Amino acid sequence: MLFRRYGTFTGGIDLPDEKHSTLDAPIGAWKRPEKLLLPLAPCRGASARPIVQPGENVTTGERIAIGGNGAVDIFAPLAGRVAKLTTAPIVRRRAMAMVPAIELRDLSRPTGICALSEVFDWKNASAEALRARIAEGGLTTHRSDPISLARWIERAVAKKCDVLIANVMEGEPFVTSAHRLLVEHGADVIRGLAILGRCMGAVRTILVVDQRRTDDYRELVAPARTYSIVRIALEPKYPLGADNILLKVLRRREVPPGSSPMDVGTAVIDAATCFATYRQVACGAPQSSRVVTVSGDRVEKSGNFWVPFGIACESLVGRAEPPVIHGGPMTGVRTGGDLPTGPSTDAVLAINAAAPAAPTPCIRCSWCTDHCPARLNVAALNDMFELAEIDRARRAGVLACVDCGVCSYVCPARLPLSQRVRQLKRAIYERREAAPLFSEK
Amino acid sequence: MNEPESTTSSASEIPDENRPPIVAAQSPFLRAPEGARTIFLVTFAAACGPLAAGLFLFGWRAASVAALSIFGCAVIERIYYGVTRVPALLGRSHAWLTGLLLALTLPAFVDWYIPLIAAAFAIIVGKAIFGGVGHFLWQPALVGRLAVTVLFPAELSIPFAQFPSDWPILASNRVLRVEADVRNAGRVENYRRWRRARAAEGYDAILITRPTLLLARLTRGEGPYYGALAFVDLDAAQTKGDLRLPDEYAEDLSTLPEAPLPEAPEAITPPATGPPRPRPAALLQLPPLNDMLYGARPGGIGETSIVIIVVAGLYLVYRNYVKAQLPLAFIASAWCVVAIAPIYLEGPAGTIRELWLPLLTSEGLDVGFTYVNYQLFSCELFLAAFFLSTEMTSRPVTTGGQVIFGIGCGAGAMLLKLYMDVPIPCYMAVLAMNTLTPTIEALWRPRVLGQGFWSRWFAR
Repeated sequence: MLFRRYGTFTGGIDLPDEKHSTLDAPIGAWKRPEKLLLPLAPCRGASARPIVQPGENVTTGERIAIGGNGAVDIFAPLAGRVAKLTTAPIVRRRAMAMVPAIELRDLSRPTGICALSEVFDWKNASAEALRARIAEGGLTTHRSDPISLARWIERAVAKKCDVLIANVMEGEPFVTSAHRLLVEHGADVIRGLAILGRCMGAVRTILVVDQRRTDDYRELVAPARTYSIVRIALEPKYPLGADNILLKVLRRREVPPGSSPMDVGTAVIDAATCFATYRQVACGAPQSSRVVTVSGDRVEKSGNFWVPFGIACESLVGRAEPPVIHGGPMTGVRTGGDLPTGPSTDAVLAINAAAPAAPTPCIRCSWCTDHCPARLNVAALNDMFELAEIDRARRAGVLACVDCGVCSYVCPARLPLSQRVRQLKRAIYERREAAPLFSEK
Repeated sequence: MNEPESTTSSASEIPDENRPPIVAAQSPFLRAPEGARTIFLVTFAAACGPLAAGLFLFGWRAASVAALSIFGCAVIERIYYGVTRVPALLGRSHAWLTGLLLALTLPAFVDWYIPLIAAAFAIIVGKAIFGGVGHFLWQPALVGRLAVTVLFPAELSIPFAQFPSDWPILASNRVLRVEADVRNAGRVENYRRWRRARAAEGYDAILITRPTLLLARLTRGEGPYYGALAFVDLDAAQTKGDLRLPDEYAEDLSTLPEAPLPEAPEAITPPATGPPRPRPAALLQLPPLNDMLYGARPGGIGETSIVIIVVAGLYLVYRNYVKAQLPLAFIASAWCVVAIAPIYLEGPAGTIRELWLPLLTSEGLDVGFTYVNYQLFSCELFLAAFFLSTEMTSRPVTTGGQVIFGIGCGAGAMLLKLYMDVPIPCYMAVLAMNTLTPTIEALWRPRVLGQGFWSRWFAR
């Protein structure tokens, strides 16, 4: 049996799939943009130090900012002229933040020039050498809230993670970028996954995919056997793509509220990161673009595209009116102020979202509680939010929330439940940061 | 803590002044189609099933009661809103639903002012003073029903023999309207079921006694129902001269002068061998079980036709408005309580015999089952289980909490019915459990993903 089968979890919901328009669309190239806005701090931590001056010309793949201290190097996705050093919005923890950025104009597309040493025998390299090779470039994870991949590996090693899971469930409607990546570059994704597994010394490496879609890339992920990567196909139900839920299903292991999967010895990564890792480690190509699904009812041209980092999300959807959504429809954020694409941009959507109706009082229908994959009593949490009982919410386990948005999705009173829960979590974290001595545990 | 719409941490960080408000900037951007109004309207439509059965069984009086109740609720809520401007009175759909549920609990023969007063209590006391939809503690329709039960006990429970309007009356091939001259009612011999029953020559209707009344007497050992459920040692009884065979509701109808008393039912069935044994009164006195299921029996407009209630309730379950666990727990616990709780039978020489576990210790298992089923079917249990206890705001949210709630409702309802002389035992049990809902919610906590077993109660 090529793909193993596993169980499911309580809660969750079957979302409308909405992927038909882009599921079979090959990854196309995106037309040359007018300008690129490259944030110098695409991930948490300090921002990189620019090493180019305004007016300077850069070539494709040239390093334009040097990281360090948690920041990653920034490479020019396209050749062009540095217009100015400015600021750009990025998405961080589901909200906008402004970070310094480099603006490139007069873009052209010459032949790629690698900034890294080209040839690297990754198959025979040691884990340390692989880690050094990854740290050489500016690799980040390609998930929401990206983090430097080198630091991610460090943390996984420090927490003695022995299982690496590549999460390609892609449960959100409309988003097909990871699926296309597997269909067209499945072998490379597998190799990147194997590289990551060796970097962190994983005992088991697992590829988790959607059960409905395995036919398209069954052959392509065959190299998994070479690297003894276990392939698992799961029946889709919405927040199965959330790391904590995936761990519960796959490993019967529950992540304590407020912890990350690494705390229970499992690292979770996605397909785009694996692919970028392979491209950098084996081919020496720094990460400067990724697959983005452009979809929705209001876009001019839907499909999957190789989009260089730094294009304004709103320019991807053509002349669509706002709101334009960065990320999937359940967990994404609304773009604003020239939000550029980055490592975490798996989709840019312009869907026909009706104006949010005014929330009415909670009628305690219990749907949020029934569908919560973390088994939180969301109705009670809503009460606690309204009464500002943050400590009670913490004791009720609000930190176990996986931020899937199902509670808001089902709420018949149109309450912004997931926002409220998010605010409760944020308040708890702020309180912890403010008074660590008096915080719990 | 403020509303997330007004303060978002990112609000000041985006320089663009023309950006759209941040309210839509939060995921998810998809919404399930069903809104609260849909829930109320679909529940209203489902509750129209029992109402239709009530109209069929009880005639136009039922329609007028329902209309008075529904419009009373809507108008009173509108007036209350006009005076107080409480914003949580969510449109009119919930008022309509409350009015309809209230009408389902009322009998068809009540005077015009009773539905209006009940509606006033339901809307004002049950709903509005708590803050409207989503805030009340008790099911509003039951608050209204309880209020009129307390205020107008005589009007709501007219003794069987006092007319002009009593509980439903079965006419030839259909149920008679209430305005018929019931004094001109006769009874048929060998009443089978209401579809087949034909009134005797010269009479308009058939009278049947409320099964609840019969059962109450049965379980309390009142009346000549000796040998109703329990095995009777006939030889001993006959030698003592105590054996009184059940005669059919004689004292009930003794006040009806013109009604010819029927012939005694087949009281004694000679078995093949051995002494004759009386058939149990549970089977003799009560209308056929089919009648109970269809709803051809006295009761509230919507609470009698169990088949339609269950079908409509299953539709609500299908729509996910009702969790099946709650009505199941309600009915199952009621069934168990009736099967176990003792009944008191009048024994020889006036002694009262306590009979535990009547399901098994009756004359036979069939009699036991029939007794238990009659206890369940003869009251308003199914309407309470599927429509009234499942009111979303006044029941617990978690599944386990709902099961506890349902068990409490069923057990309470049956204990009230068996041992306390209350007119609406199921409704009162639901109201009592509504009162306990916050407690249940506070104590029953599902284990959150990743939490330890005990930390749901003892988290630091």
